Amino acid sequence: MRFRFAAMLGLGVLIASAAALGASPALKPFERGTWQSVLKGHSGRPTLVHFWGVTCGPCKVELPLLGRFAKDHPEIDVVTISADLVPNLPAATQSMLDKAGLSSTENFVFNDGFAERLRFEIDPAWQGDIPRTMLISREGAVTTIEGSAEMADLEKWSAQQLSKH
Amino acid sequence: MIRALEGNRAVIRTGLLAIVALAFAQGTAVAQMRAPPASEAACEEPTLRCATKATPAFGPDGTLWLVWMAGGQVSVASSHDEGRSFSAPTQVTTKRLNLDWGPDARPKIVVDRKGGIALAFSTFRDEAFNGEVFYTRSADGGKSFAEPKPITANKESQRFEALALDQDGTVFAAWLDKRNRIFAKEAGQKYEGAGLFFTSSSDGGATYAEAKLAREGTCECCRLGLAFAAPGRPVAIFRNIFEGGVRDHAVMTFTDVATPGEVRRVSHDDWQINACPHHGPSLTVAPNGTYHVVWYTNGKARKGLFYAHSRDEGRTFSAPMALGQPGRNPTRPYVLAGPKGTVIAWKEFDGEKTSVHVATSRDDGETWSPPKTISNTTDTSDHPLLVSNGGQVYLSWMTKADGYRLIAIEDQP
Repeated sequence: MRFRFAAMLGLGVLIASAAALGASPALKPFERGTWQSVLKGHSGRPTLVHFWGVTCGPCKVELPLLGRFAKDHPEIDVVTISADLVPNLPAATQSMLDKAGLSSTENFVFNDGFAERLRFEIDPAWQGDIPRTMLISREGAVTTIEGSAEMADLEKWSAQQLSKH
Repeated sequence: MIRALEGNRAVIRTGLLAIVALAFAQGTAVAQMRAPPASEAACEEPTLRCATKATPAFGPDGTLWLVWMAGGQVSVASSHDEGRSFSAPTQVTTKRLNLDWGPDARPKIVVDRKGGIALAFSTFRDEAFNGEVFYTRSADGGKSFAEPKPITANKESQRFEALALDQDGTVFAAWLDKRNRIFAKEAGQKYEGAGLFFTSSSDGGATYAEAKLAREGTCECCRLGLAFAAPGRPVAIFRNIFEGGVRDHAVMTFTDVATPGEVRRVSHDDWQINACPHHGPSLTVAPNGTYHVVWYTNGKARKGLFYAHSRDEGRTFSAPMALGQPGRNPTRPYVLAGPKGTVIAWKEFDGEKTSVHVATSRDDGETWSPPKTISNTTDTSDHPLLVSNGGQVYLSWMTKADGYRLIAIEDQP
């Protein structure tokens, strides 16, 4: 019995270690202060930040298009943040990202019961409607797209970013 | 710094981030990332203290009734001392359910003149967040509730139910229903939003008539506002989808509890967006028949919270009046015509704490008092609701940090 317990414990540690090692492509918790670290981490690089959620109908349509965009534009940093206004199911979130071809981008999920505060840090005027996309240039200029983004707009912005350098 | 540029399906704004200033906050950010509570609930039991949503109603004898969702269960309790203490709760549900946890979802309650209690609530029926609306009733003063039953036999998706009580005890129910998307799909047509469906009960909420469609193509993720314009004539406010995907508000006054009326637009905010605002309106009808409405929009014509009234059953509305401080993210407006006047409540957030503000009108919505802050909390909170016992209007507010609050609005008209 003790043996079995030890084996299970060992397995648990192994799984936990594997999860920790594989932390980069896995969902990261988006908490108080995370927005600032995202901005700092991508400072000086053209970055597309996409806010979405598993319960959001228009997001389901847009996410695979964004997956294609990320694949076609390795020069653009793509960050997704699941900002659903409901408690998130990490498995459902990851599954939708995987299906959309966004497994390898930097993916976050809101992880604070006080979502108002998280949103306020990002944009005090944002009431939580999703989808929402923020395009951040190298210089820090932000274009916010409320609602589903037109891929043509993303292409245009991306081309502008590349032409400047 | 931020300006509107254009908007086809989406609205695009530009600005410049103060990245340097934000970068200085990085040190504290890392410290704060250690395991904060991810839940909106203070705890996971079915008790009121753990509730994320609590909805009040006063009974005919002045008893405050509260229905709440906590720990996956729906419970009811009553208070005889203005919410300071509550009776032992009666559990309405018998097992933990996947209750609709959307920000605009909450259990509903009406208490009739005989003390009968009608409830409605919704669950997620699957992992695709399709919903199911249940109803139940207590005929023994809240001691027990009948086994909850689906309000309609249809198995597609229903959410955002609302209940209203007529003078004769008729219970009117409305909700958003996606049953017709199947037919649209079969016909190869695009299905947008959801249908506004309704039904009524002539036995105090023990049984309901067959569900009927009032309007197809309404926004699918916002709460409804529901009231009676006159005996036998319900009125609903909802976020409609107007031509071009514009999600502005509309009212519908029913001819009777079985006959829908025409859709009348509240305002031309021009919020053209293919997204889920999760932020529905509120409606109350004064004894003289005036409709008072409040709503949130992020349209081209106006952005924020607004109030308007109509003295002709929604045919025309007054010019929208802005509510709250724009830099404080005003949200979740609620309006109630009380015994002596009209009260509006809403939330604001300053980056650290959420506060509830109220404005009052003594002249049927023509003029309003300056806003007054009546409560604060430092963690997440339910929407602020208003409830009247016939003599006094109260704020009813569930907060994570401070529990349930019932606050008399003292300088009400």
